Amino acid sequence: MTIASVHNLVVRYGHFTALNGLSCEIPEGCTGLLGPNGAGKTTLLKTILGFVKPVSGSASILGLDIVEAGNAIRQKVGLMPEQDCHIPGMTAVQFVAYAGELAGMPASQALRRAHEVLDYCGLGEARYRNVETYSTGMKQRIKLAQALVHGPKLLLLDEPTNGLDPAGREDMLELVRSVSHGKGLNVLVSSHLLPDIERVCDRVIVVMKGELKAQGTIKDLKKIEGQPIDIELRELCPGFVSALQSKGASVMLPKRTTYRIQMPGLPEDAAQIVMQVAKDSGAQIRGFVQAERSLEDAFMDAISSVSPPIASSPNPGGNA
Amino acid sequence: MASPIADLTYRNYDGPLEPPVNRWWAIAKMSMRLSIKKKGFWVWSVISAYWYLILLAVFYFVDSGSQAVAASGQQNPFFKNIVWKDQFLNGFATAQLLMFVLALMLGSGAIANDNRANALLVYLSKPCSKLDYVIGKWLGIFVLISLVSAVPSLIFYGYCLLSYRSYGFVSQDPWLIFRLLGMVLIPGFFHASVSLGISSLFQQGRLAGATYAAFYFFGLFFTKAMQSIVAVSDMNMATGSGGGAPDIVKNLYYCSVDGIQIALAKIFLHTDGSPLISPPGGIGAKFGVVPMPSFWIFVPAYFGICALFMILAWSRIRAVEVVG
Repeated sequence: MTIASVHNLVVRYGHFTALNGLSCEIPEGCTGLLGPNGAGKTTLLKTILGFVKPVSGSASILGLDIVEAGNAIRQKVGLMPEQDCHIPGMTAVQFVAYAGELAGMPASQALRRAHEVLDYCGLGEARYRNVETYSTGMKQRIKLAQALVHGPKLLLLDEPTNGLDPAGREDMLELVRSVSHGKGLNVLVSSHLLPDIERVCDRVIVVMKGELKAQGTIKDLKKIEGQPIDIELRELCPGFVSALQSKGASVMLPKRTTYRIQMPGLPEDAAQIVMQVAKDSGAQIRGFVQAERSLEDAFMDAISSVSPPIASSPNPGGNA
Repeated sequence: MASPIADLTYRNYDGPLEPPVNRWWAIAKMSMRLSIKKKGFWVWSVISAYWYLILLAVFYFVDSGSQAVAASGQQNPFFKNIVWKDQFLNGFATAQLLMFVLALMLGSGAIANDNRANALLVYLSKPCSKLDYVIGKWLGIFVLISLVSAVPSLIFYGYCLLSYRSYGFVSQDPWLIFRLLGMVLIPGFFHASVSLGISSLFQQGRLAGATYAAFYFFGLFFTKAMQSIVAVSDMNMATGSGGGAPDIVKNLYYCSVDGIQIALAKIFLHTDGSPLISPPGGIGAKFGVVPMPSFWIFVPAYFGICALFMILAWSRIRAVEVVG
């Protein structure tokens, strides 16, 4: 099921076009919104929430139109903004409970839920401290807590690991991963940090200069055309290579004892041929995996492409 | 250590949610809750009632010190000459500076501090519109200042009602209570609107407060200058060496934060005002008193200023910086 769909969305700040005819589908689960700085990721999130009015195009979130049902959308969506944000003069529990009340929770429920969410976000011990005295890591967590308090159906996370030390980053990613898998909560994580996205997301949308460059599952994006195979041998074996080449395979030596092989025909046939050649040439196979590129390579390819989106089909119902 | 059967993982909230409208009440409640936690609020609120406390003390001692007059069946000349509604006007006018201090405390940081902490992102990412935010913040200031203004006035009204009906407290103006109820809302309405408007221009409450203070004291200086001209003109007229102050000066007297509120209070109470104790000649002694201003100038001006600052606040509220 699609939780959000965007069609030809154009957003301008004065003369600057931040989103230029962007169209994409956001399926259920955890989706990463990737793009370099200034690509339009934050603008997309703000447009979804109704902070910015689109010049043209349309979008619907959870079946609600962004122009007509701003309030109803914001009640079902939680935003963890990129910048530090809190309400001055409040303790953490007051702040989170107040965020719940603003979202429409009855005061008693909001307070109960604030304690629960703060505990979950690892701020249980610091819940009665003024938010202004919090460290950067704690401020990130409280932003997540205020976004989660009212039980949103969609959580928008804008650069959730900004300013965190390695341990804090690990904790935050673990939190995001745990809320976004098997809890009925859909998450859209905007970031330019590829390892973060790869760690928590199943799918990605790549945006560049306000345009869609790619979308699909991370696995699909990392696939290499021709479906080559990486064969790791115990040691280098020139006989193995020449035998494969004689059967029409192209062989590369990408790293140490691992060969990247691309053969014509079906992958099953290729596997059989490789095994036979290894047996004949006396090569000892230690690893046999379908070759894939890193997400970074996939991302660089996507943002450097001038052609229409390279992505696989959106496959809205599927999970990686 | 948690029990092995405790589920400490995230659980989604599936309880009740109110419809996504009218969030202003939640904002107003929280603004008031945070304000009444400040000690300064209570201190300045009590101090703002000082004139009524002085009046109560004076009335009590005059009353209890003139038992012989009462025993002879005569009316006390002190109370006989009092214009009752003018006492409320005096109480209102003397509390103006203190109401302003309260307004600085409650209003100057209302939006400025939220700007500094990016709190607007929190508010506006919830089902809460710009209008909800402005109304909520405005109400949080208006209600508190109005209560601070109302409580001493109504206590004093109750005291006088119980003690001085025989001196014309009710008969002088039977509608006084309704006039008072209107009058006590004047400072709250004005300060809430103006302080919010100014606050929305800044990222720090202190700067917003300093700006409002500059605006206030400049106006106060102007008002005092006009009052001096009126007083000197009245003195000249009394000695026969000149005429009274021109009308323009009398109107300019009301052109300040305090002035416009006093103008409206005079219009509400329908009085020109008078000193605490009228000199011989009784009710209506007007020496040095600036007469009630024109309804058609000052009521629209008052509401126009309030609306202008509210629109300013509304227009400045944005979740994102939009560059041109």
